[in-house]
Amino acid sequence: MLSKYISKGFTRRTFLKTSAAATAALGLPKVALAAGEPIKIGFLAPLTGAVAAWGKPGLDGCMIWAERVNAAGGIMLADGPHPVEFVAYDEEYDPAKARTGATKLIREDGVSFIMMLGGDPWPGVQPVAERTGMLFSTLLPSDLSPDTKTLLAPAEVHPIYNVTGVEWLAQNKPELKTAVMCAQDDALGLPSVATYLAAFEAAGIEMLDEPLLFDPATTDFAPVVTRLMAKNPDIICLDTCYSDYVHPIAEQLFQQNFKGQIISCTADFYDQMIAKTSKEFMEGFIFQFPDFDDPALNAENVNFQDPNGFYAEYNTRHPGQWGAVSWEYASIMDLWKVAAEKAGSADPEAVLAAMKDGPGNHAFGEAEWWGEELFGIDNALVGDWPVVAIENGKAVIKEFRSIPDWYSRHGDLLIKHMQAYGQMWDQRG
Amino acid sequence: MMELLAQTGLNAVYAASYISLVAVGLVLIFGVMGVINFAHGELFMAGAYAVVALYADMHLPFFVAVPIGMIFVGVLGLVMERGLFRPLKGNPLGGLVASIGFLMILQALAVMGFGVRMEHIPPVTQEVWRISDKVGLPVARIYVIVAAVVLLSALWYFLKRTRFGWALRASAQDPEAAALQGISITQTARIAMFIGAALAGVAGALTAPLVSVNPHMGHSVIVTAFIVIIVGGVGSLEGAIIASVVYAFVHTFVTTFSDGVLADIVGLMLMLVVLIVKPTGLFGSADRA
Repeated sequence: MLSKYISKGFTRRTFLKTSAAATAALGLPKVALAAGEPIKIGFLAPLTGAVAAWGKPGLDGCMIWAERVNAAGGIMLADGPHPVEFVAYDEEYDPAKARTGATKLIREDGVSFIMMLGGDPWPGVQPVAERTGMLFSTLLPSDLSPDTKTLLAPAEVHPIYNVTGVEWLAQNKPELKTAVMCAQDDALGLPSVATYLAAFEAAGIEMLDEPLLFDPATTDFAPVVTRLMAKNPDIICLDTCYSDYVHPIAEQLFQQNFKGQIISCTADFYDQMIAKTSKEFMEGFIFQFPDFDDPALNAENVNFQDPNGFYAEYNTRHPGQWGAVSWEYASIMDLWKVAAEKAGSADPEAVLAAMKDGPGNHAFGEAEWWGEELFGIDNALVGDWPVVAIENGKAVIKEFRSIPDWYSRHGDLLIKHMQAYGQMWDQRG
Repeated sequence: MMELLAQTGLNAVYAASYISLVAVGLVLIFGVMGVINFAHGELFMAGAYAVVALYADMHLPFFVAVPIGMIFVGVLGLVMERGLFRPLKGNPLGGLVASIGFLMILQALAVMGFGVRMEHIPPVTQEVWRISDKVGLPVARIYVIVAAVVLLSALWYFLKRTRFGWALRASAQDPEAAALQGISITQTARIAMFIGAALAGVAGALTAPLVSVNPHMGHSVIVTAFIVIIVGGVGSLEGAIIASVVYAFVHTFVTTFSDGVLADIVGLMLMLVVLIVKPTGLFGSADRA
């Protein structure tokens, strides 16, 4: 090597390049520990557009996760430590773009694993997954089917965990007897409608009206809210509406003088909702996604590494941007890392086998691979899920509740409503 | 039931107000320039972001931010006229394609400047004009209604009672004859573009605190505006206003008494029925159809 330089002349430019590289290596001793080839992970989610709030914050969380893991030595495979890096592709919640993105991530970037939000874009990606055998994850288990054995839902069992919020409400506020619901008419909204219907029925809460579906392009929610309030419900359920809808709906509920209980899957940026309504109006708002500075997350059963530190770091880098998915993709990476290290390889097949070999350490505790009845395949990791309430302007975990327990008691109701909305795995087109 | 009807009626009046501002601007641009401005929804979005920047970020008073936003979007219209539509004069397809390109540029600029997330805009006022416990109209919505009435009345006066307005209408009816009478077609196009864009901008600016402001918010607005101008008659300002009211009432009442998805279908059906029964639209002329 040296003779090569000598024979060609060790130029000033070569010297500077070499010195810079050496200095960089010395300056990053911890990264240097993970000396192997970087393991690339694909991040295929909406980074722009209406659904970006459930993509971009997840990528931001993954960047923090990667820095932490690389600083701690990287991913320890059979041939030694490897740093991890993310390659992102903005699929804009569009199936065709998602398909292009998946192909590019696999063929050009050589990723070992691809994380997706899922939903409408998944049908575009599914043939790529089948053809290549690439390991994919989705946040939406309604994407699961026996057709794709390499698709996992390891972070959240949306929308099944919504049953925990309704059950908690029924037990803690038994005076609430009636409910209505609205949702956007799409792949995210409809399975959630079926789930909430099952949860309300199981809890003995009467639905006063059919769920009100609206076009995802809706911008003025006054008519929607007028309809919701027309029958004087005790509870108004916002289903799994995107934050672009939850905020104006909450504001309209405030302006149209609603005085009852609100329950929603998410309440991203709830501080902004409080600013547009009032602290008193938002008091007791129930949803399913905690802030990670919540002391309840320091319990022993919680597997997410240093949740409070992660939350603090996230808010330092992206102030005011914490949302439902900020931690979720990172928690999937925790599971993937454990499985890859167990397998000693980043090979998708080996990681999948290691991941499904026994119970998994879900962010909120030990969980089981589940889903045969609902999704046709046991590829959803399910366990406990938090019920969160806004109290005095701050999200507070009220309780962790078991999804499998609820399902063992009321699974038939869930299947009934999923079938009615055409959301069972064998009904989806 | 009466309360439900009353609240739904108030909701529809608000919807008719902002839709008519956008649709009239679109019609004015088409009427005078013969160009279908696909970027009109993004001009609405630009007005909303002007309020984000001036009111939410720089803390200027809302009623200072709105006129500045309106003028800013009007100037954007002038840029479009000079940079896109004038070089492509006589080429409506070229103008349409150029406006699609401009739409994408505006969206990209919004993403670069403000990010992809919806923007938080503090409420201008939380006061509600309440008729009863269950019927009320937020004051922020009343601002939109009042602004629509004032601006559209001013536009009517301008078009019917001023020399510039006559020139504008003459150019819209017969550009060659207007030019022979000494009317500058370029000047009238510039005025039409400024007014049309400013109307979209002020609609976006006024409604910004009431909707989710994001770089893609113009999409649904432009779809609604196209339905409205087809129903009203392409090129007819009166038609655009009346069609806005009809569409807003139909859509709002169907949403409230059935559901939002069906309301969209009914809105499209309304357009189809008008196209079948009267292809020129309710107030359109055969020349422009």
